[in-house]
Amino acid sequence: MENTLRQKAKELLESGEVKVVIGYRWNRTRTRTTPVFITKPEDTDQLIFNPLCVNNLSLYLTRKFKDIQALGKPAIVAKGCDIKNIVVLITEAQVKREDVFIIGMVCNGMVYKQELWKGELTPQIMPTKCHNCDVRNPHVADFVIGERSTFTPPEKPEGMVFDKIKALDSKDPSERWAFWINEFSRCIKCYACRQVCSLCFCERCITEKNMPQWIETSAHPRGNLSWNLTRAMHLVGRCTFCGECERACPVNIPLNLINQKMIQVVGEAFDFKSGYDEKVHPPMIVFSPDDKENFIK
Amino acid sequence: MNNIYLPNLVTIEDIYEEAPDVRSFRLVFKDQKLRDSFEFKAGQFGLYSAFGLGESTFCIASSPTRKGYIQCTFRKTGRVTGGLANLSIGDTMGFRGPYGNSFPVDEWKGKDIVFIAGGIGLPPVRSVIWNVLDRREDFGKVTVVYGAKTVADLVYKNELQHWEERNDVTLVQTVDPGGETPDWKGKIGFVPTVLEEAAPGANNAVAVTCGPPIMIKFVLNTLLKLGFNENSVYTTLENKMKCGVGKCGRCNVGDIYVCKEGPVYTAAEIKKMYNDF
Amino acid sequence: MADKLLKKENLGKLIESVLGKGGRFIAPSTDARQVVFKAVAKAEDLASDYILARNSYKEFLFPQTEVVAEFTVGKDGVDLRGTDVNPKDTVIFGSRPCEAASLSALRAVFTWDFIDEFYTKREDKTVVLTVACTKGDEACFCTTVGLSPETKDGSDVYLKETESGDYIIEAVTDKGKAFVEKHAAVFEDGSATAKPLFIPAKIEGIDLDKIKERLAKTENYADPVWGELTKKCIGCGACTFVCPTCHCFDITDEGTAFEGERRKNWDSCQYENFTLHASGHNPRDFQHKRWRNRFMCKFNYYPNKFSSKGCVGCGRCIRVCPVRLDITEVMEAMSK
Repeated sequence: MENTLRQKAKELLESGEVKVVIGYRWNRTRTRTTPVFITKPEDTDQLIFNPLCVNNLSLYLTRKFKDIQALGKPAIVAKGCDIKNIVVLITEAQVKREDVFIIGMVCNGMVYKQELWKGELTPQIMPTKCHNCDVRNPHVADFVIGERSTFTPPEKPEGMVFDKIKALDSKDPSERWAFWINEFSRCIKCYACRQVCSLCFCERCITEKNMPQWIETSAHPRGNLSWNLTRAMHLVGRCTFCGECERACPVNIPLNLINQKMIQVVGEAFDFKSGYDEKVHPPMIVFSPDDKENFIK
Repeated sequence: MNNIYLPNLVTIEDIYEEAPDVRSFRLVFKDQKLRDSFEFKAGQFGLYSAFGLGESTFCIASSPTRKGYIQCTFRKTGRVTGGLANLSIGDTMGFRGPYGNSFPVDEWKGKDIVFIAGGIGLPPVRSVIWNVLDRREDFGKVTVVYGAKTVADLVYKNELQHWEERNDVTLVQTVDPGGETPDWKGKIGFVPTVLEEAAPGANNAVAVTCGPPIMIKFVLNTLLKLGFNENSVYTTLENKMKCGVGKCGRCNVGDIYVCKEGPVYTAAEIKKMYNDF
Repeated sequence: MADKLLKKENLGKLIESVLGKGGRFIAPSTDARQVVFKAVAKAEDLASDYILARNSYKEFLFPQTEVVAEFTVGKDGVDLRGTDVNPKDTVIFGSRPCEAASLSALRAVFTWDFIDEFYTKREDKTVVLTVACTKGDEACFCTTVGLSPETKDGSDVYLKETESGDYIIEAVTDKGKAFVEKHAAVFEDGSATAKPLFIPAKIEGIDLDKIKERLAKTENYADPVWGELTKKCIGCGACTFVCPTCHCFDITDEGTAFEGERRKNWDSCQYENFTLHASGHNPRDFQHKRWRNRFMCKFNYYPNKFSSKGCVGCGRCIRVCPVRLDITEVMEAMSK
């Protein structure tokens, strides 16, 4: 698989079809993977792909990364879940489909966090998204690498995130509120959740607007709550449950619970799942006469 | 406890409209003792508070030779300056300072002095100009070259007129091409060009300049061309600051903390810095 | 000579003794599935097995957010009330030698010329009990920056674990000696064998002198290698938040036009807004420039300006980085 990847990357760079390949390489000690930007055909041997390649590299397609954009047309090594984010970027006019070469990687699951890796991919160290993955075979790609996966996700989604949402939903609002206030109390306002999210592509985030100061910058309960609620609301109908925000959070706030809950709400209201079709716009940016409008009471 | 972040309260005694969105405050300390004892040097700066909105950094635009008050001049651009602009005469605001180093005016005795400023860069230079003019006999020729985008953008219009009328100051005023009015009597052109035409003598002279970074860059070139020594050309760096006392970590240009080791530097010192502007 | 011991069963008594005298006891404890420094009330709250807490305990000396003044704006002017800090006696238990060595760096920054008493008053009342490392991971690189688990700089009391889970204690500073005396009832004389320490291997190819030399040359500042090495940085600033020596902060007002408070909040040089001027000009307009600033701060500004270590090799920034931007890889490149 890696050989095919390196070969393809080399071809793309040699032919000039792309100027940079965004992929993964080993760190110095070959124990962790890290993003890499390959511009020379002779460097393509650095490219790797394995269950430690958790990063969603679609982030590097956004305008925040001016120096990467300056390199020219990119090819990107992407798992199915990463491709979902690329699809959203396309539907939201951040990237044109023809401006990115997607090297789709057939994927049999990733580790939830790299430090969990003990040499073998077991279900216990995989995130909920992998257990329910319906894009193990990349759904939008220019070139697919890997043997076709025959994995069929469970009919009803299952896993830790879904169980926790069910448990939370069964609580009364004051208990739920207490749960979240406690979780958010650890927030240190580093905004790693925003920075790591390829769909948080605003050039000026609301947190940076101070006339008026919409969100207080202090890491106190008020500031933490307003930031976390705003982040969540801005991702409604867009988030693909890639899980990068939760992985990046230095204080382990279970953001996946919020994200998946929003996905369920959007699914029920609009029968929509983001990240599957680059020609369909997300529900929050289109008006349809068929919208249920059941929020008007 | 000695709280280095606690501002002193000041009253706005007077407000002057200098240019569109640019105004000056004349400030006096509420505390009479402080009002009497407060001292600073030309080139030093302070942090000015609009309570509820925060603090903003500007130089002290008045001269240390004028006691009993301080003046600041600012352009309404952000949250704090917007808040300050909403205050009226008699209102209270906060001031912390003075901070930073200063122009070595005492070392300039007997020398010619050339001041070059652009737009909102005049306020820090103004402090030195008045410091020099109030001790006029200590110095040689005094030349002021000042330019702005348009005639309306020139600040301290009354003082410009005063300097124009004085026969011990040579004032050259200019506006960028297109910024003139039908009755404009000054020059038309960019500050570095006008400075080159005015060609003040470099012999036994010092130059003080402040303005937009791009202007400073070209002015420094022109001054060197005119024969000025890098050690005799001074400028004041403006960087974003929050604490003003060398703690918050954002005003540094490489290893130089502008708030403590600056803001006043010679061209020779700036040349040695990391390119972090 | 007999050693002074803290028996593991007496740890709870030590906590009680500290709390009983009105102090707070900060130690590594499990919270939200990870080990962090937090205030604990009993020995069972302590994490039993950890390498290093995820956060740095700097937050107990320099809080993430703190009020420096409160104000009320009325008809007759402004009523301004500065905050007075009256810190509790604080015991940091389970510091690692790397982190203890970082305190002198924080102290240097908060005391050069102007003295930030919000920091100094807290630090003066803090006793650091360091437990030398018997475990480490691949992110540990203290030996590469000239420290080691045997370093006692910054520790008031230096503890070594014994095979039976007790601690051999050594009071290093006067503060440490006073602490041991104050809680004398908890300690015992005896002799024990310390567990072997975990000494991380020095990373080959990293040379601090060469880094210093290279960074000192202003012409290297514009070297494109900075961009190459740090292009993947996403600017989240998590590294600066967990770093024990990072000290940058913001001062901001909160409240209404009538009353509110002025706060000192942690900030990060990795943010675009950090140096953005009101005019729109930004001296550090690309992420690699912001990353370069952090690296320069650690390996040039701190050592030159404050003669202190900007980086203690704790490896927190490496562990927390979502894109695994490893500072030692940059150190290696800068050693060339």
